[in-house]
This record gives sequence, C-alpha cells and structure tokens, in this order.
Amino acid sequence: MNDAARTSGIDLAFGDVSGLDEVVDREALRDVCRSFFDLFGISIRVFSGNGALLADAHEELAIHTYLRTLPGGRRALSESVDAVIRTTPDQPVQLEEISGAVYDVVPLVYQGRRVGRFVLGPYLPAEMKEVPRALLKVDPALDREKVREALASMPRVKRATAERVVAHLRGILDLLVFSSHRAHLTSEMHVVSVRESYRELAEKTARLQTAYDRLRELDKLKSNFLATVSHELRTPLTSIIGYSEMLEAGIAGPLGDEQLDFVQTIHGKGEQLLALITSLLDLSKLEQGVLRIEPQLLDARELLVDLAKTFEPAARKKQVEIRVEAPPNLPRIAADPVRIKQILSNLAENAIKFTPPGGHVVFAANETDLDDDDGGGFGAVLLAAPRRAVAFLVRDTGIGMPREELPKIFDAFYQIDGSSTREHGGTGLGLSIVKRLVDAHDGTIKVDSEPGKGTVFTVTIPEAESG
Amino acid sequence: MQIDFKSRELTVKLVYYGPALSGKTTNLQAIHSLVSPETTGRLMTLETRDDRTLFFDLLPLTFDGGAGIQVRFKLFTVPGQVIHNATRRLVLQGADGTAFIADSQISETRSNQQAFLNMQENLRENGIDPATHPIVIQFNKRDLPGVRTDEELERMAKKGREPVFKAVATRGTGVIETFLGLTERTWRQLEERHQLHEKFGLDPEVFLRGVRSRLGIPEAAA
Repeated sequence: MNDAARTSGIDLAFGDVSGLDEVVDREALRDVCRSFFDLFGISIRVFSGNGALLADAHEELAIHTYLRTLPGGRRALSESVDAVIRTTPDQPVQLEEISGAVYDVVPLVYQGRRVGRFVLGPYLPAEMKEVPRALLKVDPALDREKVREALASMPRVKRATAERVVAHLRGILDLLVFSSHRAHLTSEMHVVSVRESYRELAEKTARLQTAYDRLRELDKLKSNFLATVSHELRTPLTSIIGYSEMLEAGIAGPLGDEQLDFVQTIHGKGEQLLALITSLLDLSKLEQGVLRIEPQLLDARELLVDLAKTFEPAARKKQVEIRVEAPPNLPRIAADPVRIKQILSNLAENAIKFTPPGGHVVFAANETDLDDDDGGGFGAVLLAAPRRAVAFLVRDTGIGMPREELPKIFDAFYQIDGSSTREHGGTGLGLSIVKRLVDAHDGTIKVDSEPGKGTVFTVTIPEAESG
Repeated sequence: MQIDFKSRELTVKLVYYGPALSGKTTNLQAIHSLVSPETTGRLMTLETRDDRTLFFDLLPLTFDGGAGIQVRFKLFTVPGQVIHNATRRLVLQGADGTAFIADSQISETRSNQQAFLNMQENLRENGIDPATHPIVIQFNKRDLPGVRTDEELERMAKKGREPVFKAVATRGTGVIETFLGLTERTWRQLEERHQLHEKFGLDPEVFLRGVRSRLGIPEAAA
C-alpha cells in the first residue's frame, strides 16, 4: 500500500484535545455558566487553553463601580484584575484583589494536558471581618462609609463551600470535554472507517478489473486461434476431398468394389470434417463480429418452399412428412440469403433428425410484431415500439426437450446428452451459430418444446424498412 | 510518538491487540482501576455493541518525565472481531509499541495465531517493521480450565523473542507487569531512535524508575 493511498488516521488515533474551544460549544457553555451564576451568585469566567474567553457570567459589583470613580481606585483595581487574568496555574490557586475579594483560578486538565481554566469570583471569604487596610489607602478621597456599604452587598462564601463549588464546576466541565471528545472521536472514526473500507473496495475492484481484462484478452486469443487453426485445417482437407473425389470418379483408373467403398468413406468423412471446420470458422467469425451480413429483399414463402424441396429426399428416406404453411403476400424481409438459408436449414435438419418415422415437420411463416423481451417498464411506450416482422416456425413431432434444458441449447458445444451426438451426429455448434446469425439480423429466436411431443423453433426477422 | 516542544509534552501510543474476547478492554479497565487518578484519566470506550468493542477504547496515562517534560501514554485497544480489520489497521497507525493479548485456552490457539499474523500484516501496511517493533505478549485468562500449563508457556516463550507475561485481567493480575514490560521495551526503542536522553534530558533509567514507583512496583520486581 502506498502512503498516498492510505487513509490518514494518525491525528485521530492519538486522540488529543488541545483546547477547550475545540470540543465545547460556546453558546451551550455560556448557558451553563449563566445558570451556575444564577444558582450561586458568584461570577464565573471560562478560558480556553490559548487564553480566549469562552464564557463570562458576571454582574458588576458595587465596590468596583465605586472604586472606578477614584483615580487611585481605578489603577489598583485594574492591576489586580489583570493579575488574575494573566495567571495560568498548574494547580488551583486563590488570588486576592484590592477590595479583599478573592478569585479561584482553576486549571482544566484533560488527559494530562491543560486545555483551559476557569475563574470563580470575586467573592468575599465569609471569614473576612475587617476592611483591608490597603483598600482604605488606595485613594485620599475614599469614602469609608460607601466602601462598607458596597462590601456589605457582595456575595460572601465560606472556604469549604467555595471548594465544593469549584469541584462541582470542574466536574461539569470535565464531563463536557470528555463527552464532546468522545463524540468527536466516534464521528471521525466513522468517517475514516468508511474511507478505509472504500479504499479496500476500490483496490479489490481494480484487481477484478485487471483479471477481467486479462480474461477478455485470452478470450480474444482463443477466437483468433480458432480462426487460424480452422483456416489452416481446411487447406489440406480440400486436397483430401478433391483427390478422393477424383479416385471415386475413376480418373486414376478403375477401382475394385472394396477400393471404391474405402475411397467413398474417405470422401464422406472428409466432407463431414469440412462441415465441422466451417462451423467453427463461422462461430469464431461471429464471435469476433467480423461476419458480414449482406441483406437482400427476400420472400418468406419462397424461402420455405425452397427449404422443403431441399429436405424432401432426406425426409422421405426417414418417412417423415414435410408441410409448408405460409400465407401469400407476407411482407418481404431484408436478410442475407445465404445466412437465412443456413439458419432455416439447420433447424430443418434437426427437426427431421429428431422426428421418428411417421411423424411430420412443418415449415410455417406468418406476420407478427417483434417485441423486445425486456418486460416493458421504463419508457417502453417509446423505446419498445413494436416493429413489423415475419416469424418462421419449424415445428416437429420429434422427441422434444426437457423445459429446463431450453435456455442452454444456444450455447456453443452444448448437447442435451453426449449420446445424441453419436446417435444423430452433429457437433453441438449448430444452434449457437443459428442464434448468432439471427442476432446479426436483429432478429430473435425462441424455442418451445415438450418431451415426447415435439419442438417448435420460432425465428423472427424484422420486415424490410419501406422506402 | 509526538513531541510538542511548546508545551513540553511527549505522547506515546501503545496498542493492545489480540483476538476477539481475549481481554484487551479488560486490561485497560484493570489498569484504570489500579492506577491512581493523578496518573490516569477516564477510560473512554467508543462504540460498543453487546459489550464488544467496535472502534476502540482509549486510556490516557500521564507521567512526569523529569526535565520539565510531561510524558503522556495513550493506550488503545483494537476491535478483535475479524470483520473489523479496517478499524484495527487504523488504530494501529503510528503505534510505538504493541501488547498482544492472547487467550490461554488451548482451544483458542488457532485464533491467537491468526490475530498475531493479522497484526503483523497490519503493522506492515502501516509502514511499521514488525521485526523491530516493540511487542510483548500476554497470556490472559490463566484462571480458566483447559489452558496451557506454566511450564508449557515457559518452554514456548524461550522460542520467541518477545517477553511473555501471564495474567488474569479480570482480577488485575499481571496487567501492570504487562504494561510495564511494554513501556520499557517501547521506551528503549524511542531512546535509541530519538535520543531522548541526549536531546531532552529524559534519562531512561530515571524515567522508568519513576513509572514503576508511580505504579507501585518495587524496583526488584522489574
């Protein structure tokens, strides 16, 4: 894993809080301090670790108001208040101001680190009896009576009470920091976990994509290999077929009965091999998408009549009857004549092959709509507007196929059971080629079958566009 | 490790790793209850479900390093369940030392091994070399039936290079020793890598002695 890709969680993982302001909401802290002030009547100020004042709940004291009217009082007061604000102790301390009132300055320590402090006061210690002498000397114009009056209105707190109040406030602030810190860590952890999981998934996806690309490459190589090999095999085979044909015809001299029989076998098997190789070549061309379709306007009925003529001898031999059912005036289709004949011949050959003697095979055609089989839905009214088409049906009364096998029969090399190749011949390539040829014509092929009753293949080819 | 020159603070990250239910959180709880409140803060537990850790636990410990430096230890646990690997890897980032908490029950041998290999892999993923990373191993749950005998453990311990500690974390036994063992090993490596003594005046012997006495462990036992 490279550094850039790795999710950074190091700051989070150290899980630090450097200042109170990072984790505490100022507004809420102000509310807490205000209610604290309302409860105890003592001013309170909370500072962050960097010295920023976060919350301030206080009331101007009468003694401060009075002292500010005197030049000496103003000076002495501001000096003692400054000293309080500047103090950042490691342990709680108590500071006294000119009026004899005290402040408790309490550091807030979280996980061994000073994250802020609070200042409680000024308040008069309950234990204080006399007016401090320093206060009386602060300014020559000081009115002792006014000072006494102002001091009497100030909050007085016992030492032990003050300590309890400090401990309580400390506890509240500590809870606030702890809870916020935990919530902060949790949410951050959620984010980095999601990011980390995403990164893992992205890596896996990339690996899968590479594997997929490689497989596609291999598939292409396989098709190329198939094409090359088929082509190379065909060349010598042509000579084998040609020379055996010439021998058969007696060009190299007359043959005895047994010799003729052998040569005919060589010729027959050669032709069979050639058909297989041609199929392979077709399949690989179709897979590579290099098979060219050269459409012409064709008449469906004529195609079926021709087909029936071609297969009549084979059917008669097997005692299977062929019927053609096609109305006149069917729309013309645009199809490659060679390929459409290949499609229909293949289906016809299978139908005759799998129909027992006494059965019949029907070649039918009718006009229909070509529907996309997506089950409609999104924008179907526009996207799946039906096209006029011609459906070719090849129906037999043969052995049929189990329903669960039907979706697989268009796969290359698929045969319902291996024994049928030996019994009926064939390569298992026929239907896969048919399917691809139909696709190349923008058509569809469907099959319906019932074991023991027969099979219907329906090939639908769109009508030629008029104009 | 993080050093904050301004506030003269040094933060060390220790991670408690191990298979699910081996007692990582219990170790932290025990330390928290055994150590004085001036040394430790609150034990923070992030996200649990049915008492199982989903994210991590965090226990802060603070020691005086001498030379005016405060040394803060952050103890983390990882979630042990196999599916939380991304979280484990994140928590392990920047670890200075790792305590591997194994379950002593013989039936848990395989999950101990898998968790250890997983730790090794996650250390590597975080750019930490497992061969030099300070690791101690704790065999926890010594009080349960069906555990390996002490002799067996000692024999096994001799084969490995990591110090091995025995513990019953639910009773707090062996927990402080494990932490101290990890602290010593980690500190010695930090000293070697960052020359803390030379640069900051943090004498390892003085510091470790200070930690031991704060944790109430007599010198001879260390």
